[in-house]
Amino acid sequence: MTRSTTDATGAALNAGPGGLPGRIRGVATSLTSSLSGSAALTIGLGLIAVHVVLAVLAPWIAGHDPVATDSTVALTGSTWTHWLGTDQYGRDILSRTLNGGRYALLVTFLATTIAVGIGTVLGCITAYADNWFDEVVMRIVDALLAVPSILALLVVVTVFDSGLWVIVLAVTVVYAPAVTRVVRGAARTIITQDYVTAARARGEKPLSIVFREILPNVMDVVLVEYAMRASWIVLLISTLSFLGFGANPPTPDWGLMVQENRTALTVAPLGALAPIVALATLVIGLNLSADGLSKSLGIDRAQKGAVS
Amino acid sequence: MSSAPVSTSSPVDAPPDTVVHVDDLSISYAAGRRDVPVVRGVSFSIRPGRALGLVGESGSGKSTVARTLLAHLRRGSRIVGGRVTVAGSDVFALGDRERRALRGGTAALVAQNAGQALTPSMRVGRQLREALESHGLPGGHERVLELVRHVRLPDPETIVERYPHQLSGGQQQRIAIAMAIAARPRLLVLDEPTTALDVVTQAAVLELVRDLSVELEMAILLVSHDLGVVSAMADEIAVMRDGVIVEHRQTAELFADPQHEYTRELLASAPRTSATGLSAERGGGRASAPPPPLVTAADLVVRYARSLPPAVDAVSFAIGAQETLAVVGESGSGKSTLATAMAGLIPAESGTFTFRGDDGIEGDLTRPVARRSLDLRRSVQLVFQNADTSLNPRRTVGAAIARPLRLFTGSTSPDRVAELLEEVGLTPDFASRLPAQLSGGQRQRVGIARALAAGPELIIADEITTALDVRVQAGVLDLLTDLRDEKGLGCLFISHDLAVVRGVADRVAVMTGGRFVEIGSTEDVFSGPNHPYTRQLLDATLDPGTTVLRGVDDTTRTWRDADGWDDLGDGHRIRRWESA
Repeated sequence: MTRSTTDATGAALNAGPGGLPGRIRGVATSLTSSLSGSAALTIGLGLIAVHVVLAVLAPWIAGHDPVATDSTVALTGSTWTHWLGTDQYGRDILSRTLNGGRYALLVTFLATTIAVGIGTVLGCITAYADNWFDEVVMRIVDALLAVPSILALLVVVTVFDSGLWVIVLAVTVVYAPAVTRVVRGAARTIITQDYVTAARARGEKPLSIVFREILPNVMDVVLVEYAMRASWIVLLISTLSFLGFGANPPTPDWGLMVQENRTALTVAPLGALAPIVALATLVIGLNLSADGLSKSLGIDRAQKGAVS
Repeated sequence: MSSAPVSTSSPVDAPPDTVVHVDDLSISYAAGRRDVPVVRGVSFSIRPGRALGLVGESGSGKSTVARTLLAHLRRGSRIVGGRVTVAGSDVFALGDRERRALRGGTAALVAQNAGQALTPSMRVGRQLREALESHGLPGGHERVLELVRHVRLPDPETIVERYPHQLSGGQQQRIAIAMAIAARPRLLVLDEPTTALDVVTQAAVLELVRDLSVELEMAILLVSHDLGVVSAMADEIAVMRDGVIVEHRQTAELFADPQHEYTRELLASAPRTSATGLSAERGGGRASAPPPPLVTAADLVVRYARSLPPAVDAVSFAIGAQETLAVVGESGSGKSTLATAMAGLIPAESGTFTFRGDDGIEGDLTRPVARRSLDLRRSVQLVFQNADTSLNPRRTVGAAIARPLRLFTGSTSPDRVAELLEEVGLTPDFASRLPAQLSGGQRQRVGIARALAAGPELIIADEITTALDVRVQAGVLDLLTDLRDEKGLGCLFISHDLAVVRGVADRVAVMTGGRFVEIGSTEDVFSGPNHPYTRQLLDATLDPGTTVLRGVDDTTRTWRDADGWDDLGDGHRIRRWESA
């Protein structure tokens, strides 16, 4: 089985040395092989996929405007028109939950991608540089890591208001240092490998070594890091909204919904429970993916090695 | 095939005088849903005080068989048929408690890498005491010291106070042996016990094991890929291939008259220090018309840090075009540092080091690679020891070769990549494979193709065959020799193995402690007279078929450096020395 998988990868890469379509197909092949091997990864990615699909289709399946108030139907239980009931202003909870997912996913995706992207590149570069640049960057990283993330975010949001990009950038500043540190550690083990020495002996430029030789080989660490950071960031953003520093009312947001509907928990419990369940499933999905990825990528490598 | 001296009868009771009796053993390994047989119908037995050598290439199943004697099976494998009897009991029928008593008690294992077999955070003495006490033996200080003396380590009192990392590889392996014999086992299983050691240390450790087996009446199973080691140690040899013993005979008989085709092939590909032929005639032809040197080094000093002693100390040599200079020495002798300095990965501290190519490319090799010209970088190419780590696992073979092509020649085409692959004995379809899909030998060929892609005049080969099986090694060495002749490449060939060097080198330099002690044509160095260090290396090298171990002392140095060199003519020079 392993042999056929790797052969398929090889065949996919046949498209040409370094050809981008070939490489994407190669990644897809190895992803399907990872999926078949790990239940955690399948469930995790499944949960994330459900969330993404629901978020994308939210306007069409929700049936109600998430911010439209209707005081005649405030705090109903679940009814045929409002499946999950309404909140104190008569807004449809299902619609708010679904639309809240759009916001959560968008911010998480942007913040995680930027934070992990910056952290990865910086981690590889500092690992390879191993000179004053490395020292300076890592001391800054240490300083940033020493600041409690929620405090830093509160300050930023208070000063700059809570627009989407403010939150995204603030989260980036908070999480990029941690990613830098992790990736730097992984990259340092890669640097001792002979193929990096070979590239140095050829006289390749440092950036070319970082992007051709080091970066592709830390991608597994980066993927796991991505899934893990994403789950933390989802929680962090919801926490911010819950505390009243994130999304402004009446934006449909999970943290904000929990905060708004928490007082009505005994009357209309679904108002707080629905966003909690949504948030929990997304975080579980991300965590399971991180777990499954780290396992299957590790095993994947060992198996490929065993083929030889 | 005059095979197995053990008959397939005697199914239940092992012959009374044998310690080990393996009867028709078959093991298979579950890969996905398939069962892959890894060992098929293996039978042998070993009597006390006798040694059986199990020889084969990696993947032949020899280690799997050896580990069954300790009732150990790799996860996922299972016994399909047959039985393994050690000291009268079927090891796979034992209960947990009895199995623990067997391991380390009746049968002990010495693994390849002693550094990993010892606990790094525990003093050696305490580990030995544990080995004793875990088998219910008194673990007094005297008893521990006695064990250390038994494995001939000098100054036992200080040795037992040390941590494993404070010991040399040879000392670690001796401690591992001491732990193994602590409970007076009746069987000692040695799995590639000396592969990680220098030749001199190897010879001394093997001699120790040999003596211990006689003294303690132990049966020995020696697993090795090295025919020289096995022939010096074992009374009988079993040759394994693909899980089957293809030939099993007395050692002398096997070497005198190998029956199976595979055995003959193995013997033919094993390098020997006593070999003649190829390099002799080449050397002679060359001496008449010496080509101008490609690389000249004079008083070269390389140092890793100012506070450390130089790793390469005042070394002078020259490599001519189309000439292979081999540098031989034990680990830590500075030979790899020399290669690294030549590749420009560490700058030389002082001395001159110049490159003068055929087509007018000149350069200063003391400079780091970043300050060398493109032409100079192109002309000097490096092939690595470990082909597993020298290729980027995420890039195809084609991409690995195309990269230097683009960098040095400015253009790359699939045709040129295919051409290079064919030059190193591979087929063009390898271009689309990933390194993980290649065998060790194939990877090393790709490494050579990558070096050739640049169009070099000089190749630095740093222990390039150390990780390879003998037959594969022979192939790679042949390739290197052919390329040198066809393309007129100069080559700096670094190796710890004199036998390998004999087949490929025109000239040999022997290095120890950062200095050359002898340099000369291959013939001269192998025929002597020699520097005492060279002599020691030559004595310690085990040719396949040697059945005696020449007593080699790896602990004391019998000479010290004196000033100046003795010139024996024909470029054969020996550093002066005095007895110490």
